[in-house]
Amino acid sequence: MQKTLEVKGMVCPFPLIEAQNAIEEMNSGDVLVVEFDCTQGTESIPTWAAEAGHTVTNFEQLDEASWTISIQKK
Amino acid sequence: MSYMIITGLLCGALLGFVMQRGRFCLTGGFRDMYIAKNNRMFYALLIAIAVQSVGVFLLIDLGVFEYSAGSISIVSVIIGSFVFGIGIILAGGCATGTWYRAGEGLIGSWIALAGYMLMSTIMKSGVLASFNQQAQQSAVFPTNSIAETFGINHWIIIIPFVVIVALIVYKQLTKPKVVIPALKPKRTGLAHILFEKRWHPFVTATLIGVIALIAWPLSAATGRVFGLGITTPSANILQYLTTGDKGFINWGVFLVLGIFAGSFIAAKASKEFRFRMPDVKTGINSFIGGNLMGVGASLAGGCSIGNGLVMTAMMTWQGWIGLIFMILGTWTASYFVFVRPRQKAKAAKLKEQVTPA
Repeated sequence: MQKTLEVKGMVCPFPLIEAQNAIEEMNSGDVLVVEFDCTQGTESIPTWAAEAGHTVTNFEQLDEASWTISIQKK
Repeated sequence: MSYMIITGLLCGALLGFVMQRGRFCLTGGFRDMYIAKNNRMFYALLIAIAVQSVGVFLLIDLGVFEYSAGSISIVSVIIGSFVFGIGIILAGGCATGTWYRAGEGLIGSWIALAGYMLMSTIMKSGVLASFNQQAQQSAVFPTNSIAETFGINHWIIIIPFVVIVALIVYKQLTKPKVVIPALKPKRTGLAHILFEKRWHPFVTATLIGVIALIAWPLSAATGRVFGLGITTPSANILQYLTTGDKGFINWGVFLVLGIFAGSFIAAKASKEFRFRMPDVKTGINSFIGGNLMGVGASLAGGCSIGNGLVMTAMMTWQGWIGLIFMILGTWTASYFVFVRPRQKAKAAKLKEQVTPA
């Protein structure tokens, strides 16, 4: 299952908190796609995902100050 | 005058550039010590303090400039720093963070900055100036320098501090590494390193320590014997604009304008600049946070840079007591802004599951 979380316009740390909340509701193997535009999120979201043991399957800059990251729950 | 403009802007631009690219956020760092049990950014701050401390005291010992930390008004440092800590959580960034995020195009940071500049001006030369002066004159402790209080040489404090920081860095760097996923590189060479690659927080912190160090002789040459400072210069801009009095212009004014410019250049070149409008709630929080930052930093005689990075490196009570209460302020605000709503949401959900409607 894949779920998309749109957190554009949110400032840190809310994109990260929303992503953490969303992944808690998901099952192992599900993929969470987070679309965000908070610059600091490019550091905090992948760092959290890696340290929590999830797998980042995609991480890309889409446009000026706009990113997408796909996290597969462990 | 042109020396002041050039070196102030350059030093600020370097700082803004490094902070933007290194995502150096003290607010986030203090907050994460509590909500994520992660001390990485705090350790990074200690590195920046250590680098600056060794450098500045060497320059002082060599007679490049003289510095006396003077006295400290303990109560106003404690209360001011705590209020400042609450303010930076609401505003989503400390004073410097707000300046550099304004350069990334975040309108919320412009709002916070407006509140911050306004309130610092009110506290320094406006209707609250007499209240601020009274606070500064109460509970005054005659020596601000920790070494002076104990009657010892400053290196007896600096050397053990540097050793502790070195041990922390060693321990952190030798921990089993987690590979942090990086963006797909689209550039090569210098452009990749400057505008794309993730900077390690400790590298960023070392660079910030060096910039904080060179700020001292550059600023001292204009008659302002201090290092990086944000609050007073931010107020000076508004004071100059509203009174036309050129006496408010100093090295620090160009430093903060440089931070804005440097961050804008870094963000633009990395394709990270875009005007972003916050929602109503974030906008209001930013404004309240900015005002609290102005009150707090004026009372405490410094923000997370002035007290947290510079006065700590000068090994003063003001710096370290200020830093501790600033961190406590961010934790208190984090509880109400992040932790409590989460607990409430969880409890509500649990209740829903137990008693299906």
